[in-house]
Amino acid sequence: MKIQDIGDVLTVSNIKELAAGNSDSFREEVRAAMPSRVKAVEIDLSDTDFVDSCGLGALISVYKFVNNRSGSVPVRLVNPAPSIQQIFELTRLHKIFEIVKTE
Amino acid sequence: MSSLATHAPVCVTFRTSLPCELDAVSAARVEIGTFLREQEVHQEEISACELALAEACNNAIQNATPEGRKEPVEIVAICTRSKVELHVIDHTAGFDWPEPTGAPDWQEEHGRGLFFIQSFMDRASYFRGRNENSMVMRKMRASRPNFASPETDATLRIRLTETQQALTEMARELCFRSETLAAICRCSADLGRSNDLKGFAERLMNDLLHIAAAEWFVVRIIQPAEMLTPFVRSIDAPYPDIPLASDKVISIEAESARSRHDMDFGPVRPLASNDPLARHFPNASGLVHPIQMDDALLGTLSIGRSALDEPFSMQQREVIRTFADFLAIQLLNAQLREEQISTRLLSHEVEIARGIQQSLLPRELPELPGFGLSAFCQSARQVGGDFYDVLQLSKDSVLLMIADVMGKGVPAAMFAALLRSLIRANLDSIVRPGRVLTRINHLLFEDLSTVNMFITAQLAVVDLARRELVLANAGHCPLLLAGGEGNQVIEVTTEGMPLGVLREAKYEEVSLSIPMEARLLLYTDGVTECRNAEGELFGEERLRTWLEGTAVNKTSESLKDELIAKLASFEASPTLTDDRTFLIAAEAPSAEVVV
Repeated sequence: MKIQDIGDVLTVSNIKELAAGNSDSFREEVRAAMPSRVKAVEIDLSDTDFVDSCGLGALISVYKFVNNRSGSVPVRLVNPAPSIQQIFELTRLHKIFEIVKTE
Repeated sequence: MSSLATHAPVCVTFRTSLPCELDAVSAARVEIGTFLREQEVHQEEISACELALAEACNNAIQNATPEGRKEPVEIVAICTRSKVELHVIDHTAGFDWPEPTGAPDWQEEHGRGLFFIQSFMDRASYFRGRNENSMVMRKMRASRPNFASPETDATLRIRLTETQQALTEMARELCFRSETLAAICRCSADLGRSNDLKGFAERLMNDLLHIAAAEWFVVRIIQPAEMLTPFVRSIDAPYPDIPLASDKVISIEAESARSRHDMDFGPVRPLASNDPLARHFPNASGLVHPIQMDDALLGTLSIGRSALDEPFSMQQREVIRTFADFLAIQLLNAQLREEQISTRLLSHEVEIARGIQQSLLPRELPELPGFGLSAFCQSARQVGGDFYDVLQLSKDSVLLMIADVMGKGVPAAMFAALLRSLIRANLDSIVRPGRVLTRINHLLFEDLSTVNMFITAQLAVVDLARRELVLANAGHCPLLLAGGEGNQVIEVTTEGMPLGVLREAKYEEVSLSIPMEARLLLYTDGVTECRNAEGELFGEERLRTWLEGTAVNKTSESLKDELIAKLASFEASPTLTDDRTFLIAAEAPSAEVVV
């Protein structure tokens, strides 16, 4: 997993999967890296082939973390696989997160 | 069948397991995904299955009990052409499957696992067990993999016939097995209730006739004398024993028992005309099966039907063998049970007898002024009827009694008890041992002779006031008396039949004066019949010599120890073969001064 602070946008990429096994560490690492003034969080799911409910929980936790602190900060999910996008749609979280396709 | 080769198998199962750790879920999920891909399951369906599987595993791991955490989570994936079924076996305390719910509130970080399973799978159930639970999830496959070649009507018809045949075969097999099992269960339950082995065997065999479509049976069991004896059979006519060893008797049953092989008979291999089976079942076909367990041959089972019928099928043969094996187990069980019971009874009897015998012996011997009294009574492994008694008659006199009931076990002990009571009840103020024996013989004769037992006994009254010894003997070893000038040992005895031999027997008595420094020894034949390594008896002579050589100033107690040691050093084997009892009265060393 790679976390970059580009200006006031935090980018997380190289995520193989987001599941019960690594969701806690994902949550902690992303929170720890969060700059105090962040305008947006981009989570690149291009390399992610699996997200389960725990992974989803970790993403929600990140969303709540940044929005509790600094008001309305978008959390973008970049290039999720169709099966993963389906999960967001099913849970109606696609309206909370911004789903971005770059490819 | 070659037409089937191009088709995917009907059902493929894959099993795996993972340690109870969240980190391990990912690998298991990938493993299952790979398996499903190999089965040409559609990618969307694989994703759904992977997600549901991961959620089920997470659930199993997060909720595992401390004990359950040591157990792996097991996964079974079953893939058919129409569906994928996933089983996740957990060791949690279990939970109640919730009603299908909508998506949780978006802010919730937890609790979407079951929702995902319900959403992505077509069916999910949760089964709670005692130590483990299992989540069963099913995903219907929308599209089937394309077959290499489209099926023609002809191949379809062949496949249909094959399937039908297989189904019929499976149904028959299933039917056979369940019938067999039901019959065996029914019969064993009966056996458990009644312990009636013969009735059990009969019912079992009648069930077998029904299941194997046979008409008659004969079960023989081996008797110790190498004889095949009819045990249960479906005919009433007399049926002879067959000696197993003899070559003269022509019997397919004996042949099967000897060779330990199944023997068929029928049109191809008819029974010999003088075979005992042929007498009752001419023109029969069937088979003889040796009943055996491990290496032990227990008997034979012959089963058959009219010769016109076809021979037994492989399935029917298997059922016959199963029933025979089961019968063998029950026969062996019954044998073991019987042996156990008789051993238990015997040991119980020995205990009772030993208890009686011990209770008969006086706990302490009466005091006799100037004399020491000591007794020794040791039982052989099997309880015999040796016993002794010492009764105080007056302050200066005692009655010494020693007896040996010929017989073992409880009856011998009972008679010893009876004799003891009778003597105590028949003690007159002036004791006349001969008269006592005469009366007791008369009283006991009936009881003793009906059980063919008898008792040897010796009564000796030691009266120190008169310094007189009065003795009567009923077939018992003589009393040895030492003392006086020259320390001579003399045998004191009277002629007398053992008690229980002659109804009208009369017992004489003899009286003599007690010498100075007297030592009296009453004993049973267990003392003189003690053998050394060369098989030589200890004998009366050695006993006399020993008594003669004993120092006059020894107490009865030290004389007793001396004799025990003497016998022990003479004896070859340390285990006692007969009861050994003796009674010593010895004038105390200080008595000289008194007299």
